[in-house]
Amino acid sequence: MLTSAAGATGRWTLKTIHAVLAVCRLVTGTFYWMIAAPLTGQGLRARSTLDHYVDYAARSLPVVALISFLIGAIMAMQSSYQLARFGAVQFVAHLVGIAALRELAPLMAAILLAGRSGSAITAEIGAMKVSEELDALEVMGINSIKFLVVPKFLAMVLALPSLTAAAMVIMIAGGFALSVTALQMDPWNYLAQTASALHIRDFATGMVKSVFFAVAICWVGVYRGFQVEGGAESVGKQTTSSVVTAIFFIILIDLVFTALFFSM
Amino acid sequence: MTQQADAIIEVDGLSARYGAHTVLDGVSFRVRRGEIFVILGGSGSGKSTLLRNLVGLMRPAAGRIVLNSQDFTAMDEAERLAVRKKMGMCFQGSALLNSMTVLDNVALPLREHTRLKSSTIDIMARIKLELVGLGRFGRYYPPELSGGMRKRAGVARAMAMDPEIICYDEPSAGLDPVVAAGVDKLIRKMQQTFHLTSVVVTHELASVDLIADTVCVLHDGQVLAIGPPDEVKRSSHPYVQQFFSRQPEAEVSDNNEYIRSITQL
Ligand SMILES: Nc1ncnc2c1ncn2[C@@H]1O[C@H](COP(=O)(O)OP(=O)(O)OP(=O)(O)O)[C@@H](O)[C@H]1O
Ligand SMILES: [Mg+2]
Repeated sequence: MLTSAAGATGRWTLKTIHAVLAVCRLVTGTFYWMIAAPLTGQGLRARSTLDHYVDYAARSLPVVALISFLIGAIMAMQSSYQLARFGAVQFVAHLVGIAALRELAPLMAAILLAGRSGSAITAEIGAMKVSEELDALEVMGINSIKFLVVPKFLAMVLALPSLTAAAMVIMIAGGFALSVTALQMDPWNYLAQTASALHIRDFATGMVKSVFFAVAICWVGVYRGFQVEGGAESVGKQTTSSVVTAIFFIILIDLVFTALFFSM
Repeated sequence: MTQQADAIIEVDGLSARYGAHTVLDGVSFRVRRGEIFVILGGSGSGKSTLLRNLVGLMRPAAGRIVLNSQDFTAMDEAERLAVRKKMGMCFQGSALLNSMTVLDNVALPLREHTRLKSSTIDIMARIKLELVGLGRFGRYYPPELSGGMRKRAGVARAMAMDPEIICYDEPSAGLDPVVAAGVDKLIRKMQQTFHLTSVVVTHELASVDLIADTVCVLHDGQVLAIGPPDEVKRSSHPYVQQFFSRQPEAEVSDNNEYIRSITQL
């Protein structure tokens, strides 16, 4: 009993050390191939980066737009019930604007992209591992981090902030649409209220967060993909786990940055 | 002595294991420059593992691999990379990148390792595809090809960098006899045209007669017999005989032994 517990602890420790080492290799590898490769004239695979950017950003835009619009409207409704009790309905514009920029737009876009593209990254790399494509790359002397990870990383770091900016605007539009129709607020007044409530730093904190969310989604997706062992079943398992892990890290990063930015 | 002089691959006491499971145990052989060396063995005998060690996808647990009189096992990553560019590998499942066309697959090593113009690379890749009889299929994606065509596309990719050594993992497995014979013919043609040293892993007896200059029989992680095909066929080793006469593995005769083997895990 005792020895088996000791054995389990030892195995767990070894597994954790392996995982930490693998993550370190992934992180240093990504930065090495992102910075050293272009400097030594080895190119960056710009074409592949652009393709991935279009895939992540453009293809996710419709669903991000729809959900942002609806969330904006929901927020306006929810807050108007509460604010009406204090006779402060005009502050709906403030609430919707600040919540969208600082919190909801970055979070919502990140969670959607984790589900849509983070999972796709894991599935793609996992399937390549299963069909020996990663081995084939290695035999050809092509580094898989340079070839597969860096284009995805760059595309993700560009795509998520773009999506987040779009989500911010559309969320405010959703709040606006509901306020001027259902709540019968004056459109010009609503816009003026929004403009007076928002500062550039609200936008900036949202954007900074979204960059870190993107990094987390990409690395989690890639790491899980490389973790695939064996067959198709493992690809499915790792893909699920990729989304769950990515969302966990997104929330964690959100907490840390909100705490940091709170005083600003 | 002369054999040693023109050996391009020397494997010396190679052992390989996955965790505690030893797959290869002291394998030694020599491959002469320009010959077709066939490694024959049953399923699970460690043939793919041997090739993975040979091309550097795995580090051996013990033993040495000498390529072109350079100790491959003792090299650092940069040196291994240089050696690897002189080797081609055709995988068991062809392992073409499904996200790009067949032509781009063949062009990929050239794009990554040379500074040739894109149009030049395209022409070179098309020549390689022409060589394996897939000239018209450059714009197809790998899943759109049949198994035999994918194997041949894999050969074209392995040939892209004009290697000295080419390794094939089960080139004719899963193909009908006619297509399989076609792949064997292609292996012969590559070796004759480019004076390529070829290492072919297979369990197809038909291939042995068609292509082998030297045969090496692998079983339970050890080399049982090695030499020219006729000589190996005459070998007195029971497993080798069994393999060439396609006899099934002996039934377990001891009933108690059998019951013990299925009840305890
Ligand atoms: N990644 C791995 N992890 C653990 N064990 C492995 C792994 N790959 C192979 N093995 C084991 O090594 C042994 C030899 O495998 P290998 O793939 O080299 O056989 P093979 O001769 O190529 O067989 P086949 O003809 O079926 O392709 C098998 O018993 C297998 O269980
Ligand atoms: Mg095999």
